[in-house]
Amino acid sequence: MQTLFDALSLGSLYALGALGIALIFGVMRLVNFAHGDVISFAIFALLWPSIDAVAVVFAGYLPWFLLIPFVLLMGAGLAVLSELVVFRRFRRASPATMMIASFALGFVIRYFLLMLFSSRPKSISLLPSLSQPVEILGARIPLLQVITIVATILILLALTAFLRRTRFGLEMRAAAENFTMARVLGVRANRVILGAFALSGALAAAIGLILASQTGTVDIQMGAAVMLMAFIATVIGGLGSLSGAVLAGFLLGAASVVMQTSLPIDARPFRDAFVYGAVILVLIFRPQGLIAARGTKERV
Amino acid sequence: MKNMSKFSVALLACTAIAPPVLAQDDKIIVGFATAESGFMQAYDKPAQDAAMIRIGEINAAGGLLGKQIEVVNADTKTDRAEGAKAGLSVIDAGADLVVVSCDYDFGAPAALAAEGAGLPSFFLCAESIKAGIQGVGPNSFSASVLAAVQGATMAEWSFTKKNARSYYRLLDTWTEYNKGICDGFDYMLPKLEGASLVGEDTFKNEDASIAAQITRIKSLPAEPDAIMLCTMMPGAVSAIKQIRAAGINSMILNGSGVDGSYWLSAVPDLSNFYVPVQGSIYGDDPNPAVTAFNAKYKEVTGGDPSTQYVYPGYVMIDVWAKAVERAGTTETAAVVAELEKMTAEATLFGPRTFSGELHHQNSAMYLIVETENGKPAVVDNWTISAPIPVADLMK
Amino acid sequence: MAARTPASAARRTIATPVILALILLGLALLAVGSGSRPFNQTMIDIFLRVVLAVGLYIFVGNSGVMSFGHIGFTCLGAYAAAWLTMPPMMKQTLLPGLPGWLMETQLPYWAGAVIAACWAAGWAALFGKILMRLSGIAASIATFAMLAMINTVYSNWETVTGATSSVVGIPIIRSIWPYLIAAVVAVFIAWGHAISRAGLALRAARDEPTAAAASGIDIARQRLIAFVISGAVMGMGGALFAHSIGVVTPDTFYLTLTFTTLSMLVVGGIGSLSGAVLGVVILSGLIQGLRWLEAGVSIGATTFAIPNGLQEITLGIVMIVILAHRPAGIMANSELNWRRARPEIPDDVPGNMPTNKE
Repeated sequence: MQTLFDALSLGSLYALGALGIALIFGVMRLVNFAHGDVISFAIFALLWPSIDAVAVVFAGYLPWFLLIPFVLLMGAGLAVLSELVVFRRFRRASPATMMIASFALGFVIRYFLLMLFSSRPKSISLLPSLSQPVEILGARIPLLQVITIVATILILLALTAFLRRTRFGLEMRAAAENFTMARVLGVRANRVILGAFALSGALAAAIGLILASQTGTVDIQMGAAVMLMAFIATVIGGLGSLSGAVLAGFLLGAASVVMQTSLPIDARPFRDAFVYGAVILVLIFRPQGLIAARGTKERV
Repeated sequence: MKNMSKFSVALLACTAIAPPVLAQDDKIIVGFATAESGFMQAYDKPAQDAAMIRIGEINAAGGLLGKQIEVVNADTKTDRAEGAKAGLSVIDAGADLVVVSCDYDFGAPAALAAEGAGLPSFFLCAESIKAGIQGVGPNSFSASVLAAVQGATMAEWSFTKKNARSYYRLLDTWTEYNKGICDGFDYMLPKLEGASLVGEDTFKNEDASIAAQITRIKSLPAEPDAIMLCTMMPGAVSAIKQIRAAGINSMILNGSGVDGSYWLSAVPDLSNFYVPVQGSIYGDDPNPAVTAFNAKYKEVTGGDPSTQYVYPGYVMIDVWAKAVERAGTTETAAVVAELEKMTAEATLFGPRTFSGELHHQNSAMYLIVETENGKPAVVDNWTISAPIPVADLMK
Repeated sequence: MAARTPASAARRTIATPVILALILLGLALLAVGSGSRPFNQTMIDIFLRVVLAVGLYIFVGNSGVMSFGHIGFTCLGAYAAAWLTMPPMMKQTLLPGLPGWLMETQLPYWAGAVIAACWAAGWAALFGKILMRLSGIAASIATFAMLAMINTVYSNWETVTGATSSVVGIPIIRSIWPYLIAAVVAVFIAWGHAISRAGLALRAARDEPTAAAASGIDIARQRLIAFVISGAVMGMGGALFAHSIGVVTPDTFYLTLTFTTLSMLVVGGIGSLSGAVLGVVILSGLIQGLRWLEAGVSIGATTFAIPNGLQEITLGIVMIVILAHRPAGIMANSELNWRRARPEIPDDVPGNMPTNKE
């Protein structure tokens, strides 16, 4: 029971991350390595720049109903800004070039944060009431885990509704499936891409919020580990396929937790080697991913 | 593009021309090959500030061997390859002592450069035995105390003073420092009659969630008396927060790496939490000189020390200067010989011993800081009953 | 490019590796002439990066498959060099889990580097056998998974790799010449592979996969050949990396190095050997210049310095700007040559300095 919740909550993080990466990949074939730094940035926006060890909390004192939109807005804002300032210039570049550009952008964001805040991890108590354990079906589970899972499900439902029911969502799905065709049919490319960036940034910010309230720390590298896993989940799920990304995110989370609980103590430090081994196996048997998106298949 | 490449050639050329400064006889040069930027900067800078305070004191009192101490700096940028360069730069600038980054992994390249040039090197606060004879070489020292001593201190103290009997060991495999703490704990535990290890687990510092590890603790028949938590920032806060959020209230034993109150806001009302420190930053050190030093540190840098890792920088210059004074020269062999003669040499932060076998502390007086309701305070002090033998440290 | 035979291609393209070697020699002479040890070390660093970027180019440039895993071979090479060249005494205390025969071995650094390269190549062959069946982004992620596996194993195998702790005791080589030789060797290997039958077939498969497969090219096999050769070069680079600073740790050979190497290659021009070398030289020159500014420049009586940390930010911005203006990298797909080269770059000037229009 407890293990199930552990797996679900870790999987939620990866799924949200994978979704953010898949959204952008879908519309512009960009593997966005700056995603992890957007996660960090959104949370650092709660702090006042200072290189002291003690965090100078600034917007972090807002009540939760203001704080959450604020953080989401910061994430979305940064992502939109990165599209306007950087990625717009790379429309015709190869995926490799865009990827390196996104990496360079992430590098800039990270060192910018480093300059303002120093590398020392900062502590903030975000939404402290969530740290209480609750009793569910006989297991004592941190409230935050429950909220993480519920929030992820809500976000997924909302996103599905948005993509299926609204015109904008329809355009975005069309663009993800076949960008050129969608463009010919009158989808305004730049608007769709901007929208994807905004959504992806907001998702990144949501991950940041969950991470920060779970760990109580913010540090400039905090987004990196989640982003890597999310990135892998995106590929395993089938690049461009949103549902595949979510599914693979949950699977990866489950794989990590199951290995942590089932491996003998001496093998536990090698947990990640097993997880990555499994990733290679999945890729070999399903190179297009678990749920292959139409339009991403190679010609040969 | 054309201009830019010319520009870079010009820059390369300029860097090249900067002439090496030869050692001058009328001053003694201390070279800091430490991180002025990047991840390690937050750890190196405070210790270096403390070192500068001691240098300032010595210079104000007439200098060392009648000469003023001068300082040269080179930035390692928290990068090992840059570290080697930084080491070579301060050596070229005529350094008589090379001070390297706080962390063994990041300081080693510069320390090896110093070793290669036959100069003594000091790690600002490395706590691995390899930061010394056993790793870098015979002229290398560390100013701090071995991580294993922290683990052993916590085990023995909690057994003796807190009657802890069942222990759980949770190791973050990220760094050698973390493993060092747990090694010391492993060394001490079998010596404590009646103490038992009821379980153990590992995690990674960057793990977003350690829920699976916590579930394992919770599935024990009874909550352990104490959890030996071998980890460091930033993962430590996350681990502590998650342990307490899961409703586990065992006492948590730590290494010095989690000292400081700057992160306590993340775990409100933390209690039953113990950290060994070399000196107290909370203004309640039994030794008033430490509190006076804290005030001086604030005066110089504008802020209170944020962790106990400020102090080793001060100790470092202190013991080195004494060795130079006694040797009557800055010549490496003589200074190292004098350092190795030090046995329980009194410093502001407890006695220090170096020998021909170990350039590190395998026993030290630690203050025990207890955090109760989110307020850290010194509650006790403890010195392990016997120094940890070098053979056990090398395991 | 299509109608070349290897022999005539060799004659026509030999200028490229020669020019590149001369550029590198020029840099080495500059370093020796300066007499400054830190500058010498900087140059050693540049040569190492050249080896890595060129090694990566051999696979990525020719196959068109992005690899995030090559630094794993660098890691293998670096540790192999440590195992082979450390004094037995040090190994006994630091790495007690090594097998007896390896414990007793102590080779000179160059022999160690050669064996390290073979060791890395062996693993590349093994991994390549599995991974080369994949293509596109799946292959890239699989290579990354390989890197992560290597990293996890090396970070935790206490008695053989010393886990996360730095392994010291590796002889330090501060002379610049071995590194220069390694960089030049890497350049010539890359060139030799590029004009070989395997290299030509692989590039054909990169540009026209359908046509290449139709004309009987076994793409997986050609990729595997490039993968093994580049693995060997990366392994050699790793071995020399170990000798340049005297310590190895697994986290040196992970994401940061992967991305710096990739960035230098992409900025230089992913499909070009000259691009690999020039990308390294130009970006390293830029880094060095910015570091120099960071340390402070005296103009008259005042010292002017940029704030710490601005170096990395500027570097990132410059990379973005270069890529935005030249999406295919500085050299695009062309190579340096004596003559005024390919039409893509109108003002490509012969000589030994990277020149290009912005």
